Amino acid sequence: MQIDFKHRLSAHCESGVSSNLLFHYGVDISEAMAFGIGAGLFFGYLPFIRINQLPLTTFRCEVGGILKRLTRKLGVKIHFEKFRNPEKAMAALDRSLESGIPVGCRTGAYWLPYFPSAYRFHFNMHNLVVYGKKGDDYLISDPVFPEIQRCSQQDLVKARFAQGALAPKGTMYYLTHVPKDIDLRGPINKGIKEICHRMLKAPVPIIGVRGIRFLAGRLEKWPRKLGKRKASLYLGQLVRMQEELGTGGAGFRFMYAAFLQESAGILKENRLLDLSAKMTQAGDLWRSFAVIGARNCKDRASESDSFGAMADILRDCARKESEIYQELLTVVKLERHGH
Amino acid sequence: MAIKEKLKHIFIETLNLEGVTPEQIKDDDLLFGDKFGLDSIDAVEIVFQVEQHFGVKIRDMKEGRPALQSVNTLAAFIEARQ
Repeated sequence: MQIDFKHRLSAHCESGVSSNLLFHYGVDISEAMAFGIGAGLFFGYLPFIRINQLPLTTFRCEVGGILKRLTRKLGVKIHFEKFRNPEKAMAALDRSLESGIPVGCRTGAYWLPYFPSAYRFHFNMHNLVVYGKKGDDYLISDPVFPEIQRCSQQDLVKARFAQGALAPKGTMYYLTHVPKDIDLRGPINKGIKEICHRMLKAPVPIIGVRGIRFLAGRLEKWPRKLGKRKASLYLGQLVRMQEELGTGGAGFRFMYAAFLQESAGILKENRLLDLSAKMTQAGDLWRSFAVIGARNCKDRASESDSFGAMADILRDCARKESEIYQELLTVVKLERHGH
Repeated sequence: MAIKEKLKHIFIETLNLEGVTPEQIKDDDLLFGDKFGLDSIDAVEIVFQVEQHFGVKIRDMKEGRPALQSVNTLAAFIEARQ
């Protein structure tokens, strides 16, 4: 059993799955556009959530948020389902496949056998599409791999029911209704507005631009408060969240820049091109932070690669991003009146 | 120096590959994995060094991830963009 599903390589799993599922139903939007309309960009330093016993820093919104917001804004209907029982979860997956419906699944990447060992860590938010079954193997369109993958039933069960923080609990989803004509202008505007509010007006100091500054203050003190070894572990987790999730070390800022660039053409708004370039610069700043972070984690840091220097870069990131969101707000406000 | 040779020297110098000589890095060896003990955190340094030495930026990981597989794939990526 195999559905005719077009596998397209992506930078990131959830936006890639979103874009690929929509493409299957005739809506050709890029991964960056899916990410932007789905308001995927975020910053949060969440020390009370632990992954591998280390505090979570996230550069993207909550798991599943991109897909939910994207489909809602486009008028697409999506069905989500969670399971307690693995047998029932696999039976539901099989039923959908037999009906010719490609199914998105949330998984623990560590248990997917095709992940190279160097990239394996306990990350329970990995999305993929199951689009067929051959013998005991499921056919997987994993958007961060260039080729189609296979995964045995046993391994897929392990991945769908991975334990630990943010356990996927067998979550699966599929599209149930896709409108024929979709105008992207309104959804783009709403998506941008949402990001600006989230990043500029978050009610708590650990989220958005304030959150970046908050992390800068904390990070500066890590070596003194935690000791060298633990500070290095905290930093390693931070750099991994920045880099490992397919963002090129820029915490999704490059992807958002691509979204703004594409949106400039659709909205016929040249200021978005300028803001896209500025967002790329912000991504470069984040990346320079990641480089120093990586050097510290790997004991390759020079004297100038200090935690203080990293905190200064974070403050630069906050300042730069704050300017971008403020300018973006003026663009979307004018756009709303223009249409 | 040819791109592949230069890459090997850069890896040894910047990733602290102690005791590894350029000859021991085969063109199609997987960069990340057991042989050199490199992981995704080292990818950040490699991306940075490629930009510094070759002027080639890797911003889209859809392209970058396949390029970071081996010396061969990375050299081809750089060559295509120089």
